Amino acid sequence: MKPAVSSLYQAVELNQEIPPLLIGERCNPNGSKAFREALLADDWDACLKLALDQEARGAQLLDLCVAYAGRDELADMRQLVKLCAGSCKAPLMLDSTSPETLAAVLPLYPGRAIINSINLEDGGANLDKICTLAKKYGAAVVALTITEAGMALSCAEKVAAAKQIYALAVEKHGLRPADILFDLLTFTVGSGDESMRDAAIQTLDAIKQVKQELPGVGFTLGVSNISFGLRLAARKVLNSVFLHEAVAVGLNSAIVDAAKVLPYAAISEEDRTLCLDLLFNRCPAALMNFIEHFELAVAEDEEQDADALLEEQLRHKVLKGDKDGLEDLLSELRGRWQPLDIINSLLVPSMREVGELFGRGELLLPFVLQSAEVMKQSVVFLEPFLDKLDDDGRTSILLATVAGDVHDIGKNLVDIILSNNGYKVYNIGIKVPAETIISKARELQVDIIGLSGLLVKSALLMKESLSQFQAGGLTQPVLLGGAALTAKFVAQDCVPNYQPPVVYCADAFAGLNAIREFETGKLLSTDWQPATVTASRPGPQQPLLDRSFAPPSVPFLGRRTVTDIDAEQLFDYLNEAALFRGRWGYRRGKLAKEDYAELTAKTVLPLYQRLQKQALAEGWLQPKVTYGYFDCCSSGDLLLVNDGDRQFTFTFPRQPAAPGLCIADYLRTAGEGGDTIGFFVVSIGAELAKRTRQLYESDRYHDYLMLHGLGVELTDALAEYWHEQMRIEMGIQQQSTELLAYITQGYQGSRYGFGYPACPDLAAHQPLFELLTPEEIGVTLTESFEMVPEMTTSAIVVHHPQAKYFAV
Amino acid sequence: MRYICTCCGYIYDPKIGDTMNIIVPGVAFAELPEGWVCPLCYASPDNFDPLD
Repeated sequence: MKPAVSSLYQAVELNQEIPPLLIGERCNPNGSKAFREALLADDWDACLKLALDQEARGAQLLDLCVAYAGRDELADMRQLVKLCAGSCKAPLMLDSTSPETLAAVLPLYPGRAIINSINLEDGGANLDKICTLAKKYGAAVVALTITEAGMALSCAEKVAAAKQIYALAVEKHGLRPADILFDLLTFTVGSGDESMRDAAIQTLDAIKQVKQELPGVGFTLGVSNISFGLRLAARKVLNSVFLHEAVAVGLNSAIVDAAKVLPYAAISEEDRTLCLDLLFNRCPAALMNFIEHFELAVAEDEEQDADALLEEQLRHKVLKGDKDGLEDLLSELRGRWQPLDIINSLLVPSMREVGELFGRGELLLPFVLQSAEVMKQSVVFLEPFLDKLDDDGRTSILLATVAGDVHDIGKNLVDIILSNNGYKVYNIGIKVPAETIISKARELQVDIIGLSGLLVKSALLMKESLSQFQAGGLTQPVLLGGAALTAKFVAQDCVPNYQPPVVYCADAFAGLNAIREFETGKLLSTDWQPATVTASRPGPQQPLLDRSFAPPSVPFLGRRTVTDIDAEQLFDYLNEAALFRGRWGYRRGKLAKEDYAELTAKTVLPLYQRLQKQALAEGWLQPKVTYGYFDCCSSGDLLLVNDGDRQFTFTFPRQPAAPGLCIADYLRTAGEGGDTIGFFVVSIGAELAKRTRQLYESDRYHDYLMLHGLGVELTDALAEYWHEQMRIEMGIQQQSTELLAYITQGYQGSRYGFGYPACPDLAAHQPLFELLTPEEIGVTLTESFEMVPEMTTSAIVVHHPQAKYFAV
Repeated sequence: MRYICTCCGYIYDPKIGDTMNIIVPGVAFAELPEGWVCPLCYASPDNFDPLD
């Protein structure tokens, strides 16, 4: 007798004369938005209509699934089975893994149903119960090749799992081979994941082999998984070609949206070739060619887009950084996927896509961080369902900011990007000495070490640390990142000090790429070809300084502290371009002028205004200043500063090439009559930094970057404001000027920050602290002369009209 | 077209040029010599956004 299933009205053979048998997939709240809405509204007529629509569109069986978070599966199933049994000609596939639900509805069905599905995920307990029911009610069953080890990926794993299930279902429970429909699972070939390039081949080979080794069994397949992640128009073509190939090797039924299957003959020769190249992994560029070709294909309408598969919805959530309803979606996905597979097969590829979009300038940093938050929240949600996060196979990275450097935003961004791409990150903090890095790397047995540091000094320290790593016998590749680093410095100064690869990473995604290269054995040290031109050294070009400028009059000599500063006016001095485009990463990139204006108006400015309001209302800002004026005279590269009986010496570096500028030059010598110099240390206090840290610790990556950037730029705004106050006090400026003038130094004189290009050496902070005692406003120096709290800055204030920024 | 430095806000305007780097008026951003950096914060040209 030919294997068949039946409804109240008709029998349908499982082996159709013209295969495959099409099983409608849309009566599923997880796959169809329309069905979900009908179900959630208890609108049974609408649910039934969707079932009947599928029949009209060519479905020969109807899958019925009602499992949805917050719903009573048993009650819903009972309701709909009764309704469909009387109204649908197509036999039902009862889609539930709950033996209780199945036991309740099987007796209600007036025909021969198929149960979807059994597997060995729990080792077989559930399978035993469901097979017992199948035997009792004479139902057929779909069997998924999932075992305790997870979803079977390779042909060998699929075949082995199928045999295991066969042994139990047929030999133990007495089902006939023809009662079993194996779903050997398939996975997308559209993710670009190297290890999944042969996913179609594995599935097709497995069908062939199972068909041969377990004669008489049937097959089914969720065909559309093959194209997950690709555009809808492209998916339809690829799914249809894949279905055609699967039928050719023995697939006799398929779970599909019957209306979306294209007849093979209707697919052009060119489209077929592109699909086959991709499915059979026939050339390395197959995926790229496929995507490029279908880039131009007409997009499907909105309704279909919203109706996308669950997997597709999760990808969208990651790409859009959208956390709404994330947990519901993950709960639904858990019905189909192992938690670890949701992470590795769905979330990680989506994050990879985010990185690629960022790399192409199509996604801005703030949005990348929102995507990372979706990833993080998903992992936190799934964690309780994982036996344990399996660290054994994961590449691990040790991250540290080097000794003497307190800056952690760069390192933390790298941590966010790497850990949310599935890597194991040990972030061991700031100011970490080389010895600690060596011992931690050994103890944790990490695969890669990443060093970060903002300061010029930190770059030099990295170079020295590498010699220590070499002497200490470390073997891990080292990735270097930081504002003061260049590829040239890394290649010429760092690479020779350490045997394993030493790699310059311009940003977090460069770090991510380096780790992927490491995993494929392709990681190489940074190479640098000397360019034909060297970077320009912008600055005042006239070497001849006017020596005739008399010192300005100052209101006092010595130091003073100011704490009654109105925080609100700092925002008038804030450099919005540097904040929005630089710190926050809202760059124009490929946007048209109008689109960028809209992004600014609708996203950036409202955010800025919200933060401003909140910062002022909640007292995040405590601007404080210590400053002073002192008699001084220059002598060569030295500046001698007098404070009462005390004298301090500042040594400033001089440009090695023309015009050979040095800060000391802008001040008169003793012979010329001496001069007056100003200094200041300003800080917005520790509160904002504290809140910033809390955001990072609670995984609010986007807000973390925003608040950190705001703090840094407000600190600079305070410096700008106080520099102006000092110019007014010195009588070299009458009143406030417009903002652009600050950016371009459209005022008399200059302020040079310690640690910046005209005076990179932070050791100058030592005499500065003797002069100003900034401890009184809560600012202290670290052993490497950095100021704490982080949101503090210092400057030497020079009045000479020819003094402008330059770099030594 | 003018370009803005995303690190410090400096605007390169071809009508004005850039005296700090000895660039005469009339040089388009794309035509700036190799090795040119922001005259105020030394950022490289890839840190600039088009403004107009």
